[in-house]
Amino acid sequence: MGVRALSSNSAISGVGTGNGTDSRLAAETAIEEAFRPLAGREPDLVLVYASVRYDLETVLKAVTAAAGPSAVVAGATTSGQLEGGRLIEPGDGIAVLALAGGGYRFGLGHATGLQADATRAGRALARAALGAAGPVRSPHEAVLLFSDGLAGDQQELLNGIHKVTGFQIPVVGGAAADDRRLAETFVFAGDRVLRDAAVAVWIGSDRPLRVAGGHGWQPTSLPLMLSGVEGQIVKELGGRPAREVFWENFRPRGGVDTKLYKKAGGYHSEHAFGLIQPDGSLLIRGAFIDSDGNLRTFSPMPPYSAVQVVSCEPDDLLEIGEEVVERVARGGEQEPSVVLVFDCVARLDILGERGHEEARRLQRAAHGAPTFGYYTYGEFARTTGVAGYHNATIAALAL
Amino acid sequence: MVAYGDRQAPRFESEAESLRAALSRAEGAAAAAYRDTARLIRLLTVIGTPSSPGRLIDRTLTVLSEVFAADVVCIAEAIDDRLFVTATSGLPEDDPAFTTGWALGPTARRVINSGSAAARHGVPAEDLPPPLQDERGTSAAWIPLSGVGSEFAGDLLVLYRRGGDLFTPADLQVLLSMAYRMYSAVEARERGAAIERLAQAGPGLARHLDVGSLLEDAVLLLRELTGTDSTWILSVRDDLAEVAAAADVGEDTGKRWPIPAGELPGWPRLAAGEAYVGPGGANGDDPMLLVPVMRDGGVIAVLAAKGRRARSFGKSAVEVAQVLAAYLSVAISNGELYRRLKAREQELHRRASRDPLTGLANRMTAAQRIDETLASTPTGVVGLLFFDLDKFKAVNDRLGHEAGDELIQQVAQRLRKVVRPGDMLARFGGDEFVLLINGASDLTDLNDMGRRIQAALADEFPLRGERVEVTASIGAVLGRRGTATASAMLRDADAAMYAAKARGTGRLEVFDDEASHRSIDRLDLRSDLSEALEHGQLSVVYQPMVELKTNTIRSFEALARWRHPERGNVPPDEFIPLAEETGAIVAIGAWVLDQACRQLATWQREFPEAHLTMSVNISAVQLERGHGDLLDVIRSAGVDPADIWLEVTEHMDTAEDISTQVSALRDAGVHFALDDFGMSYSSLAYLQRFPVEGLKIDRAFVAAMNDDADNGRGIVRAITAVADSLSMKAFAEGIETQAQLDGLLDLGCGYGQGHLLSPPLTVERSTAALRAQRDRG
Repeated sequence: MGVRALSSNSAISGVGTGNGTDSRLAAETAIEEAFRPLAGREPDLVLVYASVRYDLETVLKAVTAAAGPSAVVAGATTSGQLEGGRLIEPGDGIAVLALAGGGYRFGLGHATGLQADATRAGRALARAALGAAGPVRSPHEAVLLFSDGLAGDQQELLNGIHKVTGFQIPVVGGAAADDRRLAETFVFAGDRVLRDAAVAVWIGSDRPLRVAGGHGWQPTSLPLMLSGVEGQIVKELGGRPAREVFWENFRPRGGVDTKLYKKAGGYHSEHAFGLIQPDGSLLIRGAFIDSDGNLRTFSPMPPYSAVQVVSCEPDDLLEIGEEVVERVARGGEQEPSVVLVFDCVARLDILGERGHEEARRLQRAAHGAPTFGYYTYGEFARTTGVAGYHNATIAALAL
Repeated sequence: MVAYGDRQAPRFESEAESLRAALSRAEGAAAAAYRDTARLIRLLTVIGTPSSPGRLIDRTLTVLSEVFAADVVCIAEAIDDRLFVTATSGLPEDDPAFTTGWALGPTARRVINSGSAAARHGVPAEDLPPPLQDERGTSAAWIPLSGVGSEFAGDLLVLYRRGGDLFTPADLQVLLSMAYRMYSAVEARERGAAIERLAQAGPGLARHLDVGSLLEDAVLLLRELTGTDSTWILSVRDDLAEVAAAADVGEDTGKRWPIPAGELPGWPRLAAGEAYVGPGGANGDDPMLLVPVMRDGGVIAVLAAKGRRARSFGKSAVEVAQVLAAYLSVAISNGELYRRLKAREQELHRRASRDPLTGLANRMTAAQRIDETLASTPTGVVGLLFFDLDKFKAVNDRLGHEAGDELIQQVAQRLRKVVRPGDMLARFGGDEFVLLINGASDLTDLNDMGRRIQAALADEFPLRGERVEVTASIGAVLGRRGTATASAMLRDADAAMYAAKARGTGRLEVFDDEASHRSIDRLDLRSDLSEALEHGQLSVVYQPMVELKTNTIRSFEALARWRHPERGNVPPDEFIPLAEETGAIVAIGAWVLDQACRQLATWQREFPEAHLTMSVNISAVQLERGHGDLLDVIRSAGVDPADIWLEVTEHMDTAEDISTQVSALRDAGVHFALDDFGMSYSSLAYLQRFPVEGLKIDRAFVAAMNDDADNGRGIVRAITAVADSLSMKAFAEGIETQAQLDGLLDLGCGYGQGHLLSPPLTVERSTAALRAQRDRG
C-alpha cells in the first residue's frame, strides 16, 4: 500500500490488494484501497493483476464499474504479485492500481490471434492503442504491454508493435501467468477477459518515460550455437542433442545433490539460455524439460542463434532488481508516483523464501514511490533495436 | 605448511586471477566469434526461408536490427535529392520517410555514386535523418544495393545505431554480402512471384474472345507485374500505333494518337522482336519499357510501361513482360481462331438443323423442338400436324425431280405464312412436313390449322409452265405435356395421316385410340412381316381372269396371302404397303412370281388347250437394279415370258431409272398391264412412258356403273376406248353383279374378274375349276 500526493502536475496513484476466495469481495477490497488516495477523483488508468483462481469477469466488472467510463483498464493474470513492498504469493490475490493526473494520455488497444500471426496481432494492437490515445502525439511515449504468455511468438508480437512505434518508443510489460500451472493465461482490456491475445496501453507524456530491464544471470557454458530448433523445442545445441548439452552445463549450487533438476513450481528454473546480443549482453530465455523429455522454451528461439547456458545466484537476482527499479525511479526530473514492475516467476522460484526480501528491497529502491507489479511468464523491455522479449528478467517503468 | 601455504597463497591467487581473466577473455572472444557466426547464419537462414518478397525484406531487416543492435534499418531509394524509404525496421509506419523522403546526405550520395559501402561514427547532422537528429554519437552504415554501372543505381541499405560501437569493416563486409544476397533473393522471388502470377493469369487471358476486353485485362496485369504506375498496350496496324488499352494514374501519354510506329522509342529493336528499355522520348526522362507482341514475324501490339522506380525495369521485369507478350500473342490468335471456329460451327449447326431445300427445320431439329416444347411447361397440350402432298410423286414423275423440288419450295413458302409465332414448321423429307402448334388447346385448333394449310395450298402452283393442284393429307395429334414424347407424337400423327390418305385426298384425320392401335399394329405387323416368308405364313391364291363373252378362264391373277399365326388372314392392302415400306416386298414379290410361274407351267402342261397366262403384281422396287432379274425367275420356272403379265400401278415411283429392266422384260415378251387405271390424273402420261399392253379398270368404276348409270359407265367406256385405240386389252376388276357384267359386255370389255365370276382360289380349287372347264368344253 502506498499513497503519494505530489505537485499539481504529478500523478496521484493508489494501490490495493484483496484476497480470499470470494472474487467480488477480493476485487472490491483491492479497489477500495487503491481508489482511496484519489479522494474521489476519477482515475485515468487502472491496472488489475489477478490470480487465475478468481472469476475474472466478476473482478473486471467490479473494477470497470469503479473506474468510470473515462479510465483505461488493463491487466493480466499472474503468478503472484508485488505491491508496495509486499509479496502476494502465487495462487491468491488481486492487486489494483489507480492513477490519476500527471499529464498522461492513455490509449487502450487489444488484438487476438497471437498464435496464428503474432506480428500481425502486434501491429494491429499498436495501431489500436495509438488510435485510442487520440490524434495529438505526445513528446514522450511508451507502450505498456500485457500478452497471453502461453500464446505465440512473443518477440514476433514485439516486432509487430515495433513496426508502428518505431525505435523511439520503448515497450515494457509482461506476459500473463497462471500461478505456475502453465495451463491458461488471460489478459484484460476494459471488462474483457481475453485469451490468445495481447493488450496494450499507449502512454503519452510530457516527461521522458523511463523503461529498464535486467536479469543478473551468468553464463555457465561456452557460447553454443542453436543448431536445431523446432518451434518451442530446442533439438540441438552445437550439433549435439540439446538436452544433454544443457545438462552438461548445469552449475552445481549447494552441492551435487541439487545439481540436477530441482523442481520448482513445475519446471526447473535455475538454468536458462542467454541469447548473445551484438553488444555481448545476454537476453535470457527460460527453458525446461517438458513431460515428453523435450528441452522446451516459452517462446521460439531464433534458429542459429549464439547462446550460452546461464544460471544465477539469488543475491545477483536481488541486486539486479534493485538496480532496475532504481534506474527508473531516480532517472527523471520528477519523483514518480508509481513504479511498475514485471518480475519473472522464475526469479521467484530461485529466490524461494527470499521473495519477500525482494519485494521489500524493490520497494526500498523505488524511493518512496509505491511499487506495483506481478510475477510473469515473460517480460518486455524494448529500448534498443527490435529485441525486447526476455525471460527470467525484471523490467520496470516509472509513471 | 601453513606458512608456506600462506606465502604461496597470494601467488596462487594472482595466478588464478590472471587465469580467470584469460578465461574470461577467451570466453568473450568465443562469444564474439559465435555471435558473428550466428548472425551470418541467421541472416542466411532468413534469406533462404521461402516467403514473399515483401516478407523476406521485412524479416531480413528485423534480423539485421537484432544482430547489429541497430535502432533503424531501412532500404531507401534515392530519387533526385531525396531518399525515400521503402522498407524498414525501426521507423514507425507513419514516418514521412515513406512519402516525402529525407534529404539525401553527402555520405549516402557518395555511396550511391561510388557503389562502395561506408560507415561513420558520430554521424554529422547532415547525414542523419530527422528522427535521429537529436541523437549524439550515432553510428551508421550505408550499403549500396544495386551494383555500380547498372543502368539505374540508387537503392541503399542504411543502418543507424544510437551510441554503441562503430560499424567495423568486418560488419560492412557482412552487410554488403547480406545486402547482395537479400537483393538477389528479392529479385528472384519478385520474378518468381511475377511468373507465378503470370502463370495463373496467363491462361485466363485466353478466355477473352474479344480483343478489347483481353487488352483491358492484360494492361492491368502488365502494371501489376512490372510494379509501375502507368502501362499501356498499343495496337500496331498498317505501321500506325494507337493506344488500345491504358492503366495509368490519370497520366496523359503526352502524344496524339495514332502515331507512326517508327516514332515509338526503340522501334528498330521492337520491330526485331526485342524489348526496349530506355528514355521515353517525348514522355520525358522517365524510363520506359517497351515489349513487342509479335505474330508471323510482325509487331501487332506493343506493351509499354513507364517507370519511376528504375529498378522496375531490371532483367526480370523485361522477361516477365516478354512472357506476357507471348501469352497475348497466343491469346489474340486464339480469339480470332475461336471466332472463326464459332462462325463455322454456327454454319454447320444451321446446316445440320435446317432442311437445305426449304430452309425449314429438319427432322432432327423438329424432334428436338417437339421434346423441348413438351418439357417447357408441366401441363397442357401441344398440337402436331403430320402431312404430305397428295400426288406429289406423280408431279415428280411427270415433270422431273427438279420440278418436284421447286414445288416443295413453293409449298414451304406458302406454309410459312400459315405458321404463327411459337409454332414450328419442319420438312421431314420428301413431301412430308410437320407443323408443331405450341398454342393448341384442343382438337378444334388442330382442325383449324389443318384447314388453314389446305387453304394455303388451294391456289394452283405455277410449275414449268403448268399449273399444278396440290392437296395435303394431314394427320393430327395432341400430345400431353409431361407424358408425350416427340417420337410417340410423330408416330401417331403419321398413322393418322395414313388414315386420312386412305379416305382420299386433302383429308385431315385426327389421331384417336383406334388409330393408335392401328399405328401400333402397323409396327407389330412390320416386324412380323419380315419373318412371314421364312415361317411359311405366306401363300399364293389365284383369281381367274375370264373372257367375258365365253365365260372361259384365260388367265389367273396371282395374289399373295398372309396368314398371321395370331391375327389370322391379314388383308393384302394392309401388308403389301408395309412390305413396300420395309423393302420386304423384294423377297416376297420374287417368291410370289416364282410360285405363280411354276404353277402356270404345271397348269400349261395339264391344260395345254387353255393357253393360260398368269398376271403377277409387281412393285417398283422389284424393277430396280440390284434386286435380281425377274426374267431369270420366269425362265427358271420353265414358262414362256410371253405368257406372263406383270401388273404395275400408277403410283410406281422410284428413284432409279427402271427403263432398262422394263425394256429387257418387254423384249423378252413379258407383257405389262396397268393396275387401277383411271385412279390417277397422270394415267395417260403414264401410258406414254411405260410399254403397257393392258389396262385394268378399277373396281371403283365398275361399281359405279350401277350407282350412276351415266357417269360410271361413261368412264368405263372411255377406258375401253383408250385401250382399243392403243391396241391394249382392257380388264375389268371387281365384277360383283350380273348387271355389271352385262354392262361390261355391252361396252365390249373383253376380260374381267370378280366375285361374280370367281373369288381367288387355292391351287387345288383352281385346278378343279380348270378341269371342270375342260370337261365342260
